[in-house]
Amino acid sequence: MMPTKRSRILVLLLTAAVAVTSCKKNEEEPVEPNELITTVTLTFTEVGMTTSRTVTWKDADGDGGAAPTVGKLSLSPNKTYALSVAILDESKSPASNVGEEVAAEKDEHLIVYTPTPANLLTVTITDKDSRTLPVVLSATAVTTAAGTGKLQVVLRHQPPVGGKDVKDGTPGPGSTDFDGTFEVEIK
Amino acid sequence: MAFRVFLGWCFFLPGLLGHGQQPDCDCTVRGRVVERVTGQPVAGAIIYVRGGNSNTFSDSLGNYTLGNLCQGRYRLVCQLIGFDPVEVRIDLVHVLEQNVTLRENDVHLQNVVVTARRTQTTAQARAELSGDALDRTRGQSLGEALKAVTGVTSLQTGSTISKPVIHGLHSNRVLILNNGIRQEGQQWGAEHAPEVDPFVAKKITVLKGAAGVRYGADALGGVVLVEPDPLPDSSGIAGEVNLVGFSNGRQGVASGLVQGGFQNGFGWRAQGTLKRGGEVSTATYRLVNTGIREANFSLAAGYRTRRAGVDGYFSQFNTLLGIFSGSHIGSTTDLNVALQSPRPRPEYTPDQFSYRIDRPHQDVRHNLAKLRAFWRPATQGTVTLTLARQYNYRAEYDISLRNTTFQQRFRLTTYTGELLWEHSRVWKKVTGSLGLTGLLQTNLSTGQVLSLPLNRTVLIPNFRQWTSGIFAIERLVTRRWELEAGLRYDTRHLQTFQKTLTIASSNEVTETNRFNHTISGTVGAIYTLREGLTFRFHAGSAWRPPNVSELYSEGVHHGSATYEEGDAQLQPETAWNTALTANYAGKRTALELNLYRNFIQNYMYLSPQESVRLTVRGAFPYFKYTQVDATFRGFDASASVLLTPRLTLTSKYAFLRVRDVRNDRFLVNIPANRWENSLRYEFPNRAYLSLGHLLVARQTRVEPGSDFAPPPPAYWLWNASTGIILPVAGHSLNLNLDVSNLFNVAYREYLNRFRYFANDLGRNASLRAKWSF
Repeated sequence: MMPTKRSRILVLLLTAAVAVTSCKKNEEEPVEPNELITTVTLTFTEVGMTTSRTVTWKDADGDGGAAPTVGKLSLSPNKTYALSVAILDESKSPASNVGEEVAAEKDEHLIVYTPTPANLLTVTITDKDSRTLPVVLSATAVTTAAGTGKLQVVLRHQPPVGGKDVKDGTPGPGSTDFDGTFEVEIK
Repeated sequence: MAFRVFLGWCFFLPGLLGHGQQPDCDCTVRGRVVERVTGQPVAGAIIYVRGGNSNTFSDSLGNYTLGNLCQGRYRLVCQLIGFDPVEVRIDLVHVLEQNVTLRENDVHLQNVVVTARRTQTTAQARAELSGDALDRTRGQSLGEALKAVTGVTSLQTGSTISKPVIHGLHSNRVLILNNGIRQEGQQWGAEHAPEVDPFVAKKITVLKGAAGVRYGADALGGVVLVEPDPLPDSSGIAGEVNLVGFSNGRQGVASGLVQGGFQNGFGWRAQGTLKRGGEVSTATYRLVNTGIREANFSLAAGYRTRRAGVDGYFSQFNTLLGIFSGSHIGSTTDLNVALQSPRPRPEYTPDQFSYRIDRPHQDVRHNLAKLRAFWRPATQGTVTLTLARQYNYRAEYDISLRNTTFQQRFRLTTYTGELLWEHSRVWKKVTGSLGLTGLLQTNLSTGQVLSLPLNRTVLIPNFRQWTSGIFAIERLVTRRWELEAGLRYDTRHLQTFQKTLTIASSNEVTETNRFNHTISGTVGAIYTLREGLTFRFHAGSAWRPPNVSELYSEGVHHGSATYEEGDAQLQPETAWNTALTANYAGKRTALELNLYRNFIQNYMYLSPQESVRLTVRGAFPYFKYTQVDATFRGFDASASVLLTPRLTLTSKYAFLRVRDVRNDRFLVNIPANRWENSLRYEFPNRAYLSLGHLLVARQTRVEPGSDFAPPPPAYWLWNASTGIILPVAGHSLNLNLDVSNLFNVAYREYLNRFRYFANDLGRNASLRAKWSF
């Protein structure tokens, strides 16, 4: 008395649904995700010189646990420095070079330097990504008069959204992967 | 079943008037109705004489009296659902004693009765979604569907993730029973929605308030029971097909069910659901990456006789949820930028619609396998053994440097068992049950071996837990009173394995062991003042030992830009719940008022701390799990009035006040009061038209500084719906068109965690078709 033909179609559909859904998840163990930035080091090399000054922001055990240690930057007045950035994950051994990965994905990254007061230091971009937008893994930094202040370094991650590029050279798009502030003394 | 009681005094039966005289119409037949095998009295059976129009019911002792009958020969009929009807010839002169023996029938309808009685066995406030009311929520997630119940709201994370909130409590404080098994996913997370396909259910019941004695730990705020129909017991094949389309997000849902059975007691069912939705829109803009995909199925088969039965069930739930990209924030600066902009950045509000799901997203699977067997010996009641295994897989993919793999993954395996003995009636009036329960659960957040975690940056550590419980609930039923009391003892042993250091090369593991135990109790009373007017009083306790996230979480919660820290010293929390419910059901009016007070001792919550925590992404506000004592007081009121025979007005109001009484403060994330009204007109041709609105007040009871943004303003939403049931080829086709947020209002809901980033959903029209065959 029941419409067995329709039922049969339905059973087939259900079987298909079961088949579609039942073998999907990839259960094998991929590399344990442990993406961490523990260490950011800025290296300032005076133009024409070989000696350099470095300053490091470091939180070896990641969020929580021991508080981060933040170095103090000391530069000379009226000098031009070549600035380079190293970003590491030192929780791994050997340490993993996150900076290299940022460079490899330079179309999605931007480092923003904000000195306070604004005239403490002038940072000029020297590197560009494939769309000639700044990346700022390397730059020049020019000091003028002696003084003290702060330098905030922010790494913005700006991956495409909905398949469209969003990086436009401004800090606006994306989200923050690193945000650290150094004390600066120019004397 | 509708029984109409006609009370007549002396009346004449035309066929008996052959005497030509005034017959003696003062005769009475009385007796006792008992069950054939057990000899136990049967209450509630209807007794009447064939051809007459007078009837009565057997009382709780099985006794009945049918009076004012005329002298003569009759056929006396006694019937009760689940039993074969009995017809006896009687020769009535004055008073006749006629006992009736009922036999349970072989159509296994009595199991339906048993199920229904079990859920009735509570003085707790309860609400049910079934039939039309459930059909109107088809296609929605469980959390969204339950909003139809007064006193229930939802905690949302965007449009794709929704968790039920009962009387202000949610997550680990609300227990979901999926087909009788406690759902074990990663409930602790506000962005972890229940892994249940609502299409499995023919009935969704919400028990409001603490129900710890019957259901064990976590049932502090309430219990949601997702129940399919019993397996078919008649031969033939039946089923239904549901198709739902939503305009917002261009979402389509298809669900089908086929079931069949044989006269010998074998029944089976297969059910499946597919869902696909794309980016949803608010009133003025579209939200990128808010699509959803879902594919679920369930299979069931069972065999039962009158005395014993066994059934098996397997279900799988799969979902892929997109999470609005604009909600991905790395730092408090990012959050502040989002809070200060009236709308998300243009790249998060695309003009082009898409079904694409990128990062961030969640990939979730839930398997449930269940085996249930019952045995009903001749006199001792029913013994039921239920065993189940669940496997919950959850992977969360965030926007990250390499985008190669997930950021968090949890694999949770749970074995549960319950042995329940529902004893037969003792001392004629007392029924009850005695139960033993056990649970073994392992969670793998990192590595392949529980005791060898590879990674410290997981939200919760690897753990294993064992729980056991023993409970007894007894119930006394008299004509006007139903009294119940229960007691339960629970234990939990939790063992965690956490990597001691972040350093990858270190293999040191910290193991912790915790043991908690407690006693819970419940008392309840139902008093029927008169037909249609019932009062229920319920007092119950429930407990919840701290879960691993409350004990051991440590780090930045990226969805909310907070640094969250657990506290290994936390003690279990206990809810002491009292509630009074009044129900009135008249001819034109139905009213319900539920007053409640839930006092939670050692209530665990994330409390904002004075300091900030410096991390690699800057400084974050610091929140720590803290214990306070909290009271949740409120009421749910609903009224339904038949204005004309075709026009019904329904009004619902939910009111809640929450206070931290230890520090005399308000608590955060408490749903605001809501008021809902609807007007429904029924046409003679099984069609209807309804118009409704919902007013959600602004939550004004918040402590300054407890949240990043003040609660959003109050909002009004209107909705309209129309539907018709059409006969098609001898079966019924149910069509329904529904428009929510009719006037496309831009609003934000306090309990949507994405209110920091974007508006809530704009207008959404849905078309539903249900074909039953």
